[in-house]
Amino acid sequence: MSAPVLEAIAVTKDYRLGKQPIPVLRGIDLAVQPGEKLALLGTSGAGKSTLLHVLGLLDAPTTGEIRYDGERVDQRSVAERARLRHRQIGFVFQFYHLIPELTALQNVMLSGMMATSVLQYWGVRKAAKAAAIAMLEKVGLGHRLHHRPAELSGGERQRVAIARALVAEPRVILADEPTGNLDSQTANGVVELMFSIQRERGLAFVLVTHDENLARRCDRIVRLRDGAVVT
Amino acid sequence: MIAAFSPFLAWRYFVQRRINWLSTAGVMFAVWAMLLVDSVFTGFVSSIRQDVANSSPHLLVTDLPHDTDYQVLQPVIEAVEGVASSAPRLRHYGLLQPLRAPQTINRSGSSQIDFDHARSGFALLLGVDPARELATGNLRDWLARESPFGTGSSPLQGNRLEQYPFADVDERQFGFFGLPGAVDWAARKRAGLPIEPDVTDHRSNTPGVLFGYERALRLPWLRHGDPMELVCVSFTEAGGKVTLHTHPSRVAFAGCYATGHRGFDEPTVLLPIETLRTMLGADAADPDSVALVTDVAVRVRESVGPDALPALQRRLRDAVQKALGGKTCSVLDWREQNPVMLGAIASEQAMMQFVLFVVMIVAATVIFATLHLMVVQKTRDIGILASLGGSPRSIGAVFLGNGFAVAAIGTVLGVALGVVSVRFLNPVNEWLYATCGLELFPRALFDLSGIPVRLEPSWIASVAIGAMLLSLFVAWLPARKAARLHPVQALSHE
Repeated sequence: MSAPVLEAIAVTKDYRLGKQPIPVLRGIDLAVQPGEKLALLGTSGAGKSTLLHVLGLLDAPTTGEIRYDGERVDQRSVAERARLRHRQIGFVFQFYHLIPELTALQNVMLSGMMATSVLQYWGVRKAAKAAAIAMLEKVGLGHRLHHRPAELSGGERQRVAIARALVAEPRVILADEPTGNLDSQTANGVVELMFSIQRERGLAFVLVTHDENLARRCDRIVRLRDGAVVT
Repeated sequence: MIAAFSPFLAWRYFVQRRINWLSTAGVMFAVWAMLLVDSVFTGFVSSIRQDVANSSPHLLVTDLPHDTDYQVLQPVIEAVEGVASSAPRLRHYGLLQPLRAPQTINRSGSSQIDFDHARSGFALLLGVDPARELATGNLRDWLARESPFGTGSSPLQGNRLEQYPFADVDERQFGFFGLPGAVDWAARKRAGLPIEPDVTDHRSNTPGVLFGYERALRLPWLRHGDPMELVCVSFTEAGGKVTLHTHPSRVAFAGCYATGHRGFDEPTVLLPIETLRTMLGADAADPDSVALVTDVAVRVRESVGPDALPALQRRLRDAVQKALGGKTCSVLDWREQNPVMLGAIASEQAMMQFVLFVVMIVAATVIFATLHLMVVQKTRDIGILASLGGSPRSIGAVFLGNGFAVAAIGTVLGVALGVVSVRFLNPVNEWLYATCGLELFPRALFDLSGIPVRLEPSWIASVAIGAMLLSLFVAWLPARKAARLHPVQALSHE
């Protein structure tokens, strides 16, 4: 077995309600291998999304460690964590989270603008645009490049979000209920698309869901209950 | 480093969200108002300051002791390095009554009580030596002032008033503001005074008085040469008893002058200094009398720059005080001669600029409110940007960039609109007057041919830079808030 690309070691996360700490994650240990599809399964309030945010460096653990390629990263500065997020992680959310003022193409191109300065980006802008178009064509939206999110269906929006998550060529995809807002037929299409790209690129894939059927399509299922790993 | 997405998204927000246009319009109108209003005010102030300066000599030696003799002071003053020439002045007050004017009777019909300077005849008398004043002060300009109406006529002619006929008198006549013989002869005839049978035999010996045109405007029936009674009053004290003396004299209305400074022109009547000296008991024919002065006007050589003027003032004051045996006097430049007037307009300008600054604050508040609202509305976008790898600084830069776009575009449009408005303010005013009879600016009230506008490049730069800095500052506050938002809380924002 190769070294894990992403690890959570004894991760806890407390939120505070007034002076009262509310434990949400209770000592999570988790390792995600390169190319592995991992499902985080649990009921609402089990701590799935919180764990995903901690794994994605959007939130810091109260105790414990987050490691990428064996290197501890949760204690790095805000700016360094942002850079790491850009380089290593792609997010796909339940509600797509596209910028409504931007077209599908601009939403995808936005990802490429995150870690480069204006001058640096100016030099690679044509290549970045070509890559964004290629990614949108890959997810079947080559004909919807200049449509805004409001002009797209739910499935199309999620495909744009997937294209945006992938265009920066991350090593890990963190998907939070990516089909939770779609009808079953559209959801199936989106899942097929995600998994095919995951296979093709050998990405580590962490999928948060409460859908048992969807979870079973992954390589491994980690069940969470009350903030702890059950199996 | 600011990431490339910051300016990109800032511009998209600016273009897509119309509320930004409201902020831009706010900045534009604030900048426009600051430029237009200030340019009009600066134009007025420049015009007023120019007129005030025109009514004053370069330097004025004043606060002299009683019975100061100009014959003593003149060589002392003109020996001071930097002084070109000097002219004696004698200030007093008096009452003027035209002989052929209808009596002004009040409603009760009892006596003449009128608080109007011109109609009551009260005047601040300024006795001058015409020849020396011509060389030292701005008398030539006062007597032939270009018309502010731009018609080629003087303001006096523009109001059908009679200027002093400077070109038609010889040096002797000018020495006492006398009139051409024929004019004096005709005026005496009108007034029923004794005259030579033949006009060609008449030579005028009556000293003339010159009215500021503001005063003459109120006496439209006055004609060249109209004889007038001038009465001065003085007091003497002897043995603890004060005695009032009246000094009457016959003078003639010789015409008008105009400095443009209403505060000077309206009350002041010019007359030959010898006439006034004689009235006050210092008869020129008496070899024991002194060449009485209350002030001495001084012309400064052109080589003396503004920086060197204070030193010259000090040298002059020291020289005069030494000549006066240690008695004190003052030497004032044109600003110091008119402190109340200039202080008032400086104060008004400062207040006006403060009001305009408040306008800018209002515009800045609109920017702040708009951007703050946008940060609230775009909270989820902030979370999205964080999840994509945007650093807090770059996320804040999106909103700061948005504020910059509002400020920059609003400022550029405001400056352009302001410059165009200033350029076309007078044509628009004239067009409105010609077509609708509307006047944005009542010309008759200010005796100006148009709205005096003066747009200083330094003011444009100050307003533009100030608007930008203020806008960026108020944009920075919501931008900082955006940068500090927690990504997870932002993503879950409803």
